[in-house]
Amino acid sequence: MDVVILFAMVIGLMLIGVPIAVSLGFSSILFLLVLSDTSLSSIAQSFYQAMAGHYTLLAIPFFILASSFMSTGGVAQRIIRFSIALVGHLPGGLAIAGVFACMLFAALSGSSPATVVAIGSIVIAGMRQVGYSRDFAAGVIANAGTLGILIPPSIVMVVYASATDVSVGRMFLAGVIPGIMAGTMLMTTIYVMARMRNLPKGDWLGWGEVFESGADAVWGLLLIVIILGGIYGGIFTPTEAAAVAAVYAFLIACFVYRDMGPLAGRDGAPNTPLWRKPQALVTAFFHRDTRDTLFEAGKLTITLMFIIANALILKHVLTDEQIPQQIAGAMINAGFGAVMFLVIVNVILLIGGQFMEPSGLIVIVAPLVFPIAIELGIDPIHLGIIMVVNMEIGMITPPVGLNLFVTSGVAGMPMMRVVKAALPFLAVLFVFLIMVTYIPVLSTWLPTTFMGPELITN
Amino acid sequence: MSHTDPHHRGGMHRFVDELEETVIAVILGAMTIITFINVVLRYGFNTGLIWGLEAVSFLFAWLVLFGVSYAVKKTANLGVDAVLNIVPRGTRRVLSLIAAAVCVAYAFLLLKGAWDYWANFANLPQTTGRWFPTGFEEMGRTSYRGWYEVVDIPFPEWLRWIQPVMNEGMDYEKLPRFIPYVILPVGALMLLIRFVQASWRIWHGRDESLIVSHEAEDDVRDVAHMNRED
Amino acid sequence: DCDDGEMVIKFSHVTNTDRHPKGIAASLLQERVNEEMDGTACMEVYPNSTLYNDDQVLEAMLQGDVQMAAPSLSKFEQFTKVFRIFDLPFMFNNIEAVDAFQASDAGQDMLESMARRGLLGLGFWHNGMKQMSANKPLIEPSDAEGLKFRVQASEVLKAQMSAMGASPQPMAFSEVYGALQTGVVDGQENTWSNIYGQKFFEVQDGITETNHGVLDYLVVTNVDWWDGLDEDVRDQLSTILAEVTETRNTESYNVNQEAKQAIIDAGGTVRELDASQREAWVEAMKPVWEQFVEDVGQENIDAAQEMNAQVSGS
Ligand code: NA
Ligand code: NA
Repeated sequence: MDVVILFAMVIGLMLIGVPIAVSLGFSSILFLLVLSDTSLSSIAQSFYQAMAGHYTLLAIPFFILASSFMSTGGVAQRIIRFSIALVGHLPGGLAIAGVFACMLFAALSGSSPATVVAIGSIVIAGMRQVGYSRDFAAGVIANAGTLGILIPPSIVMVVYASATDVSVGRMFLAGVIPGIMAGTMLMTTIYVMARMRNLPKGDWLGWGEVFESGADAVWGLLLIVIILGGIYGGIFTPTEAAAVAAVYAFLIACFVYRDMGPLAGRDGAPNTPLWRKPQALVTAFFHRDTRDTLFEAGKLTITLMFIIANALILKHVLTDEQIPQQIAGAMINAGFGAVMFLVIVNVILLIGGQFMEPSGLIVIVAPLVFPIAIELGIDPIHLGIIMVVNMEIGMITPPVGLNLFVTSGVAGMPMMRVVKAALPFLAVLFVFLIMVTYIPVLSTWLPTTFMGPELITN
Repeated sequence: MSHTDPHHRGGMHRFVDELEETVIAVILGAMTIITFINVVLRYGFNTGLIWGLEAVSFLFAWLVLFGVSYAVKKTANLGVDAVLNIVPRGTRRVLSLIAAAVCVAYAFLLLKGAWDYWANFANLPQTTGRWFPTGFEEMGRTSYRGWYEVVDIPFPEWLRWIQPVMNEGMDYEKLPRFIPYVILPVGALMLLIRFVQASWRIWHGRDESLIVSHEAEDDVRDVAHMNRED
Repeated sequence: DCDDGEMVIKFSHVTNTDRHPKGIAASLLQERVNEEMDGTACMEVYPNSTLYNDDQVLEAMLQGDVQMAAPSLSKFEQFTKVFRIFDLPFMFNNIEAVDAFQASDAGQDMLESMARRGLLGLGFWHNGMKQMSANKPLIEPSDAEGLKFRVQASEVLKAQMSAMGASPQPMAFSEVYGALQTGVVDGQENTWSNIYGQKFFEVQDGITETNHGVLDYLVVTNVDWWDGLDEDVRDQLSTILAEVTETRNTESYNVNQEAKQAIIDAGGTVRELDASQREAWVEAMKPVWEQFVEDVGQENIDAAQEMNAQVSGS
């Protein structure tokens, strides 16, 4: 009963416009003060330790930073050009290229909204120019953008790994096949719609353009090779991989693409080659663009971590009141099997996703459902992928969803029109969710092959 | 959701913004570089900065605790505005004022907790009272924790002068904890101040709410012109 | 669940409740306290770092937010350096010598070494003697040269690895399996039960039975809270704790031998050292003692050596 009041209070506060982080933190503090003998100082300790004590979460600022350098550095344009060269000539080609570009950008970025902004702003304009409706374009991008958290790297996966003590590397590998599958399903759907509705297709620009655009985009795409290769090659931990990715992205943006930093041409002037201005090797570190990118990434990290830190305080309340054990006991006594349990998880996440930022939701829900999943013999990696896919769907389901907001801003459309536009593709993702939920091997095959069977050490 | 930015007034404000933004950038930059150097040292030279990981963890806490008040100042904290957007203007104002009061209360409780947590590490008294500080506690024999050091970060030589004050003249081998932890009360105090200011802005109608609906609001604003409804 | 009017004792630890030696001991303690002190006291155990991890728990204990914990001895570095004696390589010949030392005056004094810092030791819980493993055979000390070893954050263990010409790498326990597997680190040192429980043997060439150090936990409490207990409550708690400690420490030897056998059964390689090989390891590592004499006290080292002689003499 207490816990119902707690959650009602969290949601109530959010709805009257209290920031998510404060809604979580304030409700939790009141509960700890009323129900337990925990001191305010232990809450401050939890808050501090949310950052200082969670080594895995350190990957978040680094992945955000890598993604920021890549977005600033004009990588999105190069990826889009390559995608169009590859699939633009198919029926519905530009839309398919948009999905493909979202998949590629997702491999650089840990977040879905970032993917929508980077790819959507360019592709939606391009699609409208060649005759697609604004609604169709927005619907495609809103959906494909959700792949940002499923295709590694992924901030949501990092949070899940931290909350449940599974390996980040495993989670990343587990996302690869479902990510490619979801993208392929979306592209196939578009292809079929294009054949039926006779949607515009582009010209085949020849293999020369494929190779040229591919070579230009490859510097950006190497990032995912570095991340996955580095982790599995034993060079660094996932957190370190994120930091290396950030440094790599900085070097590529400043010295190879030169779209930012001291070598970038201002106001349409061409970029300066490095040999003409070798001092850039030093000045790039102190350049205004570098500072601004670091600041933007820092600011996003701060707002996300403020939510996660407060969600961890709520988790502390739940632990202190031994709620996870109670829920686990109740569910197992009620005789729920794995299937029923997964349906319940899906429903909780879809509802929770209406109010909550995805990473904060994971922090709260994961510890509640994880012990039950283990008890029921559900693979923790599989559970993680199910949760991520639910988050994806939560982002594009009405009434509220992160990607709906962002797409409505990027496409210049009212929210409700985006909701309607996204619906047909949302159906595809629902089918995908069911497949991922009930075919565990989609998630577990790759990590098991590369990293051996999952062990549950706790 | 868009609101006119009330924060760009005068050189002093701009200077403070600039300062806060630079601190945020420098902390994140330092975290990245230290982590990167450690990878290079381990992989390339079979060695490493033993204190690197702990330093980066503390910088992470500093980044968030320092920066969160900036996020309040710039109305960058995430929230749900679905209800606020459909209620009449007057109701919206009332709800926002209640929300602001909750935020102030939150920051106040966090500040008391932060002080109580940090104080003993700095050989200072905690406050009494469970919810509201009613005074300062008497220091007991175990209330002095200025000796309590971190795990890996060595004590910097130029700080030796604090030893007589904080550690009964004994040598610190590692950084004492009150130094990294000081950001807790400082950050919580800045947060409280910024929430009070934000409430003030809402009261005077210069701002409408405390939240943005999603993290990419700035980026979206930057690209919105590309697809404006024609 | 605790009844109204019972004093709540929160015990926070970082392992599971039913397979790890510490977790089993904590569960047994909880069971006995709740049965025998029903109506007076009630123990709540928070396992798996759900409430605090080892770094936070001592702060929380000083603050009064948790009453008992059992961190490994290397977590007390900020409070006292005397426990470094248990990390010093080849200080104790075997677990019997460790038992004898801990029961001696020297060992019992160590329990109170942190009282002025606010903590009181109540008893030592064994995990067991540590073994070494790497991604290549370790027969001579020089085999470890140039390798990266994961160690707990401890000055002694860093010095020990440096003495072998290896490079020490502190790393969270939960990351060790992955790091060994991918080669981020080459080797590690741990007890049989941890090597088996974490399946490290799957991702190592083999384990060398060195018995070179002790992995022990200290059951610890807040000295003010302890002093504030009614005397009969304190006595009863002490008695129960002492009995649980005795039972579980005796059992820990068997647990480790079973783990060792299980590793062999699962196809892991276990290498034993003959007397001269072992002597070479001792020779290589013993210089480390000199660096830490001041921290642990020559009299304690002497006492430990006396116990070695007594135990092997009997
Ligand atoms: Na991604
Ligand atoms: Na939604």
